[in-house]
Amino acid sequence: MSNRSNKFVLFENDDDFKYDKKRFNINIRFNRIAFIFFIFFIISLIYSIHLVHLGSRKSNLSTNNQTKIINILQRADIVDRNGNFLAKTVSSIDIGINPIEIINQKKLLLNLRYIFPEKNYDLIQEKFKNKKFFWFEKKISEENYEKIMVLGDKSIKPQEKLTRIYPQKNLFSHIIGQIDEDNIGISGLEKSLDERLKENKETIKLTVDKNIQFLIREELVKFNEIFKSKGSASILMDVNNGEIISLVSLPDFDLNERKNILDKNFINRATKGVYELGSVFKTFTLAAGIHEGIIEPETEFKNLEKKIYCGGNSISEYDNEIPNNLTAEQILIRSGNIGSVRIGQAIGIEKFKKFMTQLNLINSIQFDIEEVGVPVSFKWGKCKLATASYGHGITTTILQLANAYSIIVNGGYKINPTLIKKNIKPERKKILKNNVSKKINPILRKIVTTKEGTASLANIEGYDVGGKTGTAQKSAAGGYSKNKINTFASVFPSSNPKFALIVMLDEPKTNSEYIYNYRDGSGIKYKGTPFNTAGWTAVEVVGQIIEKIGPILATKYNEVY
Amino acid sequence: MIKFIVFTLLFSLIVGTSLIKKSTKDLDDEIYSTNENLIFLENRFKDSKLEFDYLSSSERLLKYQKLYFENSLQKKSLKELNKIKISDNEIIIYKLTISGDDEQ
Repeated sequence: MSNRSNKFVLFENDDDFKYDKKRFNINIRFNRIAFIFFIFFIISLIYSIHLVHLGSRKSNLSTNNQTKIINILQRADIVDRNGNFLAKTVSSIDIGINPIEIINQKKLLLNLRYIFPEKNYDLIQEKFKNKKFFWFEKKISEENYEKIMVLGDKSIKPQEKLTRIYPQKNLFSHIIGQIDEDNIGISGLEKSLDERLKENKETIKLTVDKNIQFLIREELVKFNEIFKSKGSASILMDVNNGEIISLVSLPDFDLNERKNILDKNFINRATKGVYELGSVFKTFTLAAGIHEGIIEPETEFKNLEKKIYCGGNSISEYDNEIPNNLTAEQILIRSGNIGSVRIGQAIGIEKFKKFMTQLNLINSIQFDIEEVGVPVSFKWGKCKLATASYGHGITTTILQLANAYSIIVNGGYKINPTLIKKNIKPERKKILKNNVSKKINPILRKIVTTKEGTASLANIEGYDVGGKTGTAQKSAAGGYSKNKINTFASVFPSSNPKFALIVMLDEPKTNSEYIYNYRDGSGIKYKGTPFNTAGWTAVEVVGQIIEKIGPILATKYNEVY
Repeated sequence: MIKFIVFTLLFSLIVGTSLIKKSTKDLDDEIYSTNENLIFLENRFKDSKLEFDYLSSSERLLKYQKLYFENSLQKKSLKELNKIKISDNEIIIYKLTISGDDEQ
């Protein structure tokens, strides 16, 4: 019995043994595959760590001073609407040699002699012996740079230097502005777009046109000489989208010279200078009356006085021949002061103030550069309403004037003046009602075409020019000086306005030698400026400008707009 | 047999990976050099454009006009400028206006 039981045990052991052997075989195979996978895992882990390291490491160059300089000076280019450079950062490369790092001095000298045969190599060998870094070639040509870099010697150290250049010199000085030695914008677009210019390499396209800017500036410079003006300004704006095609303020300066300008006469007269502009405001008075439905161009004003008093001050007509009975249209054409006061009084303070605010005339305006003037604030009252309705005691900038005239003539759509070209078409919001533009535009045209009008010198054939003149005395401490601000706000073609051109002359004088050509087809010439008014100064400038830029606008801009 | 298949599979995977890596590296190099060339050419184009802008500035063109074509170039008024359109082999002349509305 006991034997049987022993056999049974042996049989059991035999089974156990077989089972263990089988399990052992499986383990060996499994471990081999696991080992291979483990090796692969380790390799891939190392590779991944290496990749992560490569991805996260900073370039050696970034710690180098050389690149720091490059980054500090990095600044995007600025071009006009046609892609012409207005501001550009250009680089030049200086080549230095660090003798300690030279791999093979003989070979390097031989190669350098081949590329730069004119250099004094005895002196260079001396420098090699000194073991100190030296500049080998400054502002190297592209061709030689390529040749020297092909040598692949570690000791050759190129250093890129960046400079901001303004190829148009004075032409856009007040728009582009200046940068300081640390590449920080200190005026104009260089200041307002400082961060964008530094961070984004993408070229910034402006709305201005280099050729039109040049032609307008030429005329302003010429007439500054003729009328001995202290300065002048002009803005040419697209009335439908607020794009500024030209903005000139004189005197200007060459941006490449990087002068520290402290003279106040170099103020941006187009955007920063705040002036009382006189009769150009009468257009807004009439427009406000039409907008509010109080006045129509045919509305008659009877028994208009030649002189009225308000708060102890007198308001009189410039032209004593002006009739006592006038329609609203005739008041604007003949630039009647008392008539404008009566229109203003009919509108009332609140509505007049609201209209001026809607046109952005008496509050500060958002613009692409920071040099924007803030109109002098004042307390509205009966006398203020009276003077403001003919453009006195109320101030604004030339930019705001151009913007307001654009809104008046474009169908009453709100626009924002801009210098930066945008790809998206801005939404147009109508802010004026009662067909203001349809009623005002023909009146502006009559100011240029009729004998009673004050702007016949701007009647250029084919351009359908309309506009309003403004002659104002400059304010001085405690009153007004004899010096004048002569302005002409023009729009053309007045049948379907596309452009607003404002010209302002700061303290012009009459010129007894200047010859005027009447533009009524008579061929009559007139020598000498008879009166120091906008009609004889600013209007003549606008006429000359439109004659020059008109063909460009008619041919080129007709396709664009 | 299984050993052989596993070995062949692993070997082919290794070879395949290295071949793909090699071709990727070549592509990377090619992309890098093309980018570098592009930047270089772009800079060169911009420099040439700058030179062109400077040499063809309105100021210079007027100077050249006075120097070489003072009597041969005449200023034209808007009235003298026309727009020509060719439609069905017929030339149509439009008067040019500032408003952009064609007048036949």
